Formats: sequence, C-alpha cells, structure tokens
Amino acid sequence: MMLHIPAYVEALTREMRSVGGRSGQKVRVHTLFFGGGTPSLLPPKSVERILTTAREVFAVQPEAEITLEANPGTVSREGLAALRAAGVNRLSMGMQSAHAEDLQLLQRGHTAEDVRQAVRWAREAGFENLSLDLIFGLPRLSLERWKITLEEALALDVEHLSLYSLIVEEGTPLARWVETGKVEAPDEDSAAEQYEWAMERLEAAGYVHYEISNWARRRAQGGHWGSLHNLQYWRNQPYYGFGAGAHGSLNGLRLVNAAEMAEYITRCAAGESQAYPRGPATVEVLEIDRETEIEETLMVGLRLTDEGVGRQAFWARFGEALEDRYPRQIEQLTREGLVELTDDRLRLTRRGRLLGNRVFSAFLGGD
Amino acid sequence: MEHIRNFCIIAHVDHGKSTLADRLLQLTGTISERDMMNQVLDSMDLEREKGVTIKASAVRMVYTAQDGLDYELNLIDTPGHVDFNYEVSRALAACEGALLIVDATQGIEAQTLANLYLALESDLVIVPVINKIDLPSARPDEVAQELENLMGYPAEEIVRISAKEGINVAQVLELVVNKVPPPKGNASEPLRALIFDSHYDSYKGVIAYVRVNEGEIRSGDSVKLMVTGAVVKPVEIGVFSPGMRPVDALRAGDVGYVATGLKTVAECRVGDTFTNPQRPAAAALPGYRKAKPMVFAGIYPTEGEDYPDLRDALDKLQLNDASLVFEPETSQALNFGFRCGFLGLFHMEIIQERLEREYDLDIVVTAPSVEYEVIMTDGEVLRVDSPAQLPDESLISEIREPWMALQIFSPTDYFGTIMDLISKRRGVFVSQEHPAPNRVQLNFEIPLSELIVDFFDALKSRSRGYASMDYQFLEYRPGNLVKLEVLVGGEAVDALAAIVHKENAYHKGQALVSKLKELIPRQLFDVAIQASSGGRIISRANVKAVRKDVLAKCYGGDITRKKKLLEKQKRGKRRMKMVGSVEIPQDAFMAVLRLEEE
Repeated sequence: MMLHIPAYVEALTREMRSVGGRSGQKVRVHTLFFGGGTPSLLPPKSVERILTTAREVFAVQPEAEITLEANPGTVSREGLAALRAAGVNRLSMGMQSAHAEDLQLLQRGHTAEDVRQAVRWAREAGFENLSLDLIFGLPRLSLERWKITLEEALALDVEHLSLYSLIVEEGTPLARWVETGKVEAPDEDSAAEQYEWAMERLEAAGYVHYEISNWARRRAQGGHWGSLHNLQYWRNQPYYGFGAGAHGSLNGLRLVNAAEMAEYITRCAAGESQAYPRGPATVEVLEIDRETEIEETLMVGLRLTDEGVGRQAFWARFGEALEDRYPRQIEQLTREGLVELTDDRLRLTRRGRLLGNRVFSAFLGGD
Repeated sequence: MEHIRNFCIIAHVDHGKSTLADRLLQLTGTISERDMMNQVLDSMDLEREKGVTIKASAVRMVYTAQDGLDYELNLIDTPGHVDFNYEVSRALAACEGALLIVDATQGIEAQTLANLYLALESDLVIVPVINKIDLPSARPDEVAQELENLMGYPAEEIVRISAKEGINVAQVLELVVNKVPPPKGNASEPLRALIFDSHYDSYKGVIAYVRVNEGEIRSGDSVKLMVTGAVVKPVEIGVFSPGMRPVDALRAGDVGYVATGLKTVAECRVGDTFTNPQRPAAAALPGYRKAKPMVFAGIYPTEGEDYPDLRDALDKLQLNDASLVFEPETSQALNFGFRCGFLGLFHMEIIQERLEREYDLDIVVTAPSVEYEVIMTDGEVLRVDSPAQLPDESLISEIREPWMALQIFSPTDYFGTIMDLISKRRGVFVSQEHPAPNRVQLNFEIPLSELIVDFFDALKSRSRGYASMDYQFLEYRPGNLVKLEVLVGGEAVDALAAIVHKENAYHKGQALVSKLKELIPRQLFDVAIQASSGGRIISRANVKAVRKDVLAKCYGGDITRKKKLLEKQKRGKRRMKMVGSVEIPQDAFMAVLRLEEE
C-alpha cells in the first residue's frame, strides 16, 4: 500500500488535470474532501501536492472547506500541523466509542486516549473545525454505556458530530459473528432509544440536528458548522470524484472510477480522454434523467432534517410544485406523522427522522 | 380377441411402475431406442419430477410370445395417488389383469394394498412382480413371502425383476400372455365402450380413452354418451402405439381412443359409456360417478392485474381435468380470486404447481378447507366450503363434516407414534391387521379436515418415511365445530378464518396468533392480533410499532446503491396485502398450514 502512494498521487493529479483541463473555464470549488479508506495514511507532502494541483486546475475559493478523514490511531502532532499548513482546515475523526470493548468489536486499532490526544493536537495545529464519528446501536451497548460515549465526545468540545447507527455490512467479521451467534444482532429498538436520547442531549448542548446522522454547533456569525461538502450531496448538487473508486455527479451524469488501484493507475497513466466530464479512469456512467433527479433530490434532500427540501428551490429546479407532484404521498406521510409541509419546505418530523426509509421510498419509482 | 391382453400396472409411488412400462415398450419394439424418452407414459414434466403418474394412458404393444403367436397387449396406466382413486378404478375396469409391482426393498405399502383391493373388486387377475432386485438392500424372499401371505400367490412363482437393469423383464410379458385372460364380449352386440380417461387436444378436442366391452365403433360412426345423452361425431378413432394412430374400427376387447371434438373433458367424463345412437345398448356400464371435490381453497393472484391470466390458466387446466372446479370469490384481504375445489390435497398441490410453473403465475393459496354441512335452526341445510361463509352461530343447529376411512400401513415399530398422531387429529381406531410380518395395517376413521393440513408430512416424519396411507370418503358426521376468526388491527380477516373442533379452538387460536406475530412485520403503529371464537377473544398478541427504519449513511458515492435498497424494500411492501391499514405478507395466509405440532 505505502509503495503505491507516489504512483497513486501521480495518477490522481493527472486525473484532476485531465478533467479540470477540459472543463472550459476554471470551475469554482467551495469544498474539498479527502475521504474513503484512511486518508490520514497519506503523507502530508502528498496532501499538499494534491491540493496544489487542485488549486491550479480549479478556482478553489479562499474560504473553501477542506476536510480530511482521519483515523485517530494514525495521526501525529507533526503530521496534523503539516496538514493544517498544507491548507486542510477540517478534520473528521472516527472516534466510534469511548469503550474499549466496542472498539474491539469494530476492529478499530485506536483507544479512547488516542482520540483525546488527536483532538488536542488538532487544536494545537490550529484546526477550528473538528468532527467526530460515533456509532450507536452496537450489540451489547446499553443506553447507559452509550451515554458515556456521547458525553465523552461532548467533553472534547468539537464543532461537529456524526452519530451512525450500526449497520452490519455483509462480508465483514461482525456479520460473521452475528451469523454464528458469537455476537448478538443489534437491536433496532435499543438503537432507537439511543438515538432519541442523543437528539435531546445534543439539542441541550447547543447542536443543530441538520441531517439524520449529523449535528453541528452554531457559528458565532450565524449558521452552523455543518459539513459544507456533505451538504453538496444532500442538496443533490454537482461534485467531482477523483481517485480509485471515486464517484462524481455532474452534467446529468453519475460517474464511477475504476476501483482497483492498479487499474486506476494504469488508466490515469494512459490518460485516454473520454468526453467531459468523464475522466481517464471513468468506468461507469449513469445518465440521470429528470425523473431520477427528482427522486434523488427528495431522497437525499429529506435527510436534511432542518432545511428539508425547499419548495421554492424545487420549483426553481424542476418547474413544478412539490405538492402538485406528490399530493397523495405528502398527504399520507403527513397523516402518519412522518413529514411536515410548511410554507417553505417539506421535511421530516421528529418521528420521521427514525423512519426515514418509509418517507424516502414513498417518493421512489412511482406508486 | 383370443390374442388380446388388457392389463395395467399397479404400484405404490416410486416402486418402479414407469420404468417397467418403458422396458415393456422397448422389448416389444413399440418404441425405438432412439425415440426412447424415459418414462414415456408420464408425459407431464411435473409427473416425472414428482415420480408419480397423474393421468393414465393406454399403449398398444405387439408381442411375439414363446408360443410363436403375436399378441396385442394393451397397457393401461393408472394414476398412482390416493386422490385419484376413482380414475384408478375406471382404468382397472378396462382391464382383465394387473401387474402388482412391489419394491424389493420397501415391500407392501398402503397404496399397494388399496390398489390391490380395487383390482380385486374389478375381478382382475393379479400377477405380482417384485422389482428393484438389483438394489443392495433388496430382500426379495421376504417380500415374496409377504405377498404369499397377502394374496396366496406361491412365493416361489413370483417373478423377480429389475426394470432399471432390464433383468427378467421378458418373463413379465410371458406372464401377461399366460396369466391374464383374453377379453370377453361380443362384437355383434350393441356398442358399449367405457371411457376410462381423457385428455384435451387442441386440434381434435377431447380424446376419450376407451375400452370396447361389446360391439364395435367404426370410423365415421356417431357415438352417444349414455350418461349425458350427448351424441357426437368423432373426428377420428384409433389406438396409441404409443402416438395416436387412426384405425378403421375398435371392436369388443380393444383399447383405443375416440377423438370427440368436444371442447372440455367435463362433457365427456371418465366412467361414462359410449354407445351407438342407431342401436343403443340397454344400459350404461356400471360404476359411473361424477368426481366430487373434497378439498377447497382460495387461489388469488399476487398482483391484482394477473386475475384474467389466472382465470385463463384455470380454464385451460379444467379442459384436461374434469375434477377441478372453480368459481370467482372475493376476499377483503386478497381481493379477487377463485374458490377452487380439488379431489384432495395432492390434487391441490399439483394444480398450484402447474399454475406457478406452466403458467408462470404468482399466486396465494389460502388454507384448505373441507365442505361442511351446516344445519340451520330453521332446518335449512347449507353447504359451506369456506370458513368465512359460516353463518352466525346462533342460527346454526348443527355442523357436519366429512369423515374418511383411513388406512395406514407401517412397520410395527411406529405403531405408538401413529396412534398418538391419530388421537391428536381426532381420529378413531377401528381395527388392525398384520398382512406381513413386522407390518401392520391400521384402520381408522378421521375427519377429512384433520387430514388435509399437514397430516401426510407428520405421518412421514413420525415413521421416518416408512408409513404410507390411503383414504376414502365415509360419511358426514356431526361435530362440535366452531368458527375460529382472526382479527388483525381489530378487523376480521376472512382468509384466515378456520372451522375447528371446539376443544382445539383455544389451542389453535393461540398457535395461529403467535405464528402471525412472527410473520406480520412491524408497522407504523401497534398491531393487535386476536383470535376469537363464539364471540370471545381467546388469544391475543401485539406487534409493536416499528421505531426505527432509516439508512444511517447516504453520501455521494452511495446514492445509487441506497436508492436500489429502498426500491427493493418498497417492492417487498407492495407485495403485501392490506387489511384495513395493516400490511400483511402473503405467507401469513398460509400460516395455519404451518402450525407446528408440539
């Protein structure tokens, strides 16, 4: 893996140049996000090189949000300082739990102390925008133990928290343990209870619940510290995806890059150009027609628990009123207490936040 | 006529009847090696798969015997299952002899006996044959002794073969020639030909399989059906050899077919008699009976839009199956479908599978019911085959249900567990016989309603597959029966209603409620499931409202995949049936069938 890094970074910068070079004028970029896998394994020098390339190819805005996902066990004081110096201004760290047993279950190499230290070092390095990921609904996780995790995270005083309900993904060791009965299957009712408690606790602590699994502190100058990059996804706005297995979405297309590292590097090296916005490593292209775009806008937009899907914005984007397109669905979901249609938006109710799938699927695939 | 032999093969399922038939066809050159398709007689895929014969056929073979003469051997195939007893009896009536095939490892079984008794009733000469002697576990001497004890046929004279390996099969043909008597009957008398089977052919209409008892049918003659009175001009007459081959005449003693041009087999029923309208016989051949459905169930399309396709499919199946009856039915839970009547549970399974496989339909089949006789307080008698239609209890003076004579044939080891099963199913012991060492035949009387739900499987599992059974209708008897209703979300679900014995109502209600609690997914609100009988709630459970159902993560790269996930979830929901505002999955309607025995 380490051996690949220089070649990979080379390929990545080629890909960015190839795509960016064909975009006509320099595209304005408000956010950059290093994510997927463990980007904190990337030497800060490489991060710097990638950012430099991005700035050459795109019109990266001076106030742009530049996030890097970091595993608390893989960072150092110097490394964080170097990242900050390179221009990264937001860190998203996988804390997951305050309990050693949970971390073991999740096969995370770090400790609770690693997290405290990483946050301290990040502040020292000048990061003003930190996010922690936590997981609830774990097997054997009682409400009491979940409270300890969340309180620990709150004590670290970060700008942003992501609280994910455990998903037992097929093919993972956890899935095998659950299957063989070594580990109890997670219980959705306990998860619901933990989530509900977190909603109240975080509200009391001054966090805005802006997406189903995401909370952000209010900013002194108004607004909140919500991830601008992820908001781009949830508002169904365009983005580029660079790197092995990366996804992009723009000009009515969803693009997927080759996922295999070797194939990705070979493709970028060959530099074969496909029509913009495809890049040299694009292996899958999905056309997004109007219907699909509407469905997806609702599916992701309704995840935004505060702003929801704006009626004005919907009208402006699709030329028809939200409530005219889905009168029956909105009426039923309102009756079930899952959504509310206000003067300016459609959004989940408090109850709907726990039953989002019922809401999202109501807008999919016709009736 | 001296050189004609009409015979059939009777056997328990899997004892090798079809394999033997194949060998006989090969040996007589009726079918060439090249054309040999395994088990020619079973022409439906389903039969081949289930290893049973559903429709009988009749094949003419020409055999040069050791005496140097040519014989015309008509092999009449018989259905191998208890639901088709009447068809078996008609096929037997068309023969003078029967080969009784017994598996050298399994020995005598219930259907062997049932068919044997039927054959004896028809005055057939029985030639026992022990098959599968090639198997390592074969015990031909013991089985021969069992047969001698049973029918007095000297054990040492019983031919022992392996149809699969072709061992001693030629001897079977000699036995047919020597033991089975030639047909009697005078070709100059007025025509009487027994219809012992039929199938529908899209070009020639209903093909009636006939055995001419007296007189003759000449090509071009009209024939009259003596029961229905209908006169038809056949499209052609002929014999199966094994494909349809037209002939000029079928005479007394012959077996062949009459292509009637009729549109449904119901117009030309098995057991009816053909005569000549110009010179009619005085009376029809005896034994005609209209096959009467005994088991009823609702069949509904999963998707409402498939209703017309389901109707067409049932129409087509009925062309070939006069014992299948159906009429439209509406259910509040399942919408539009059909109430169907079957000869038995096995017949029902076959129809269900054919609808699914041959017609590619997604269907829901409700729990089977028998037909009850309901005596009202005003003396009126209603026949009710759907529990939901049972009138209010206060208007009923008595409910009668069909009872069956049941024979179970088993190694003696399982005596205890079989008696236990019978007593759980309200059965009554009548008598026992020991037709063979270590084997017992138990005779019971039992309500049909207890037989149609999972009885055969329970018997098989209790006896490790060794016990076999056969049953016949006995009579209607009054029973202490009550309607068991299931309410979901406070609404009675018609498709889940059942008629049960009062003593079992509480227990069955409880079992049903707990099964449904497993099957009904959590909804947005609490769902009460209740069983009620005689206006009282006898069991209840609560499916708690779902609290959480949401994808934790959805970021850029996930959107397409997550959307597919949600679409799949939605499709699953769409397949559910709405009762009031509660979504009920289809398999819940079969829940009553799977209430485990405790």
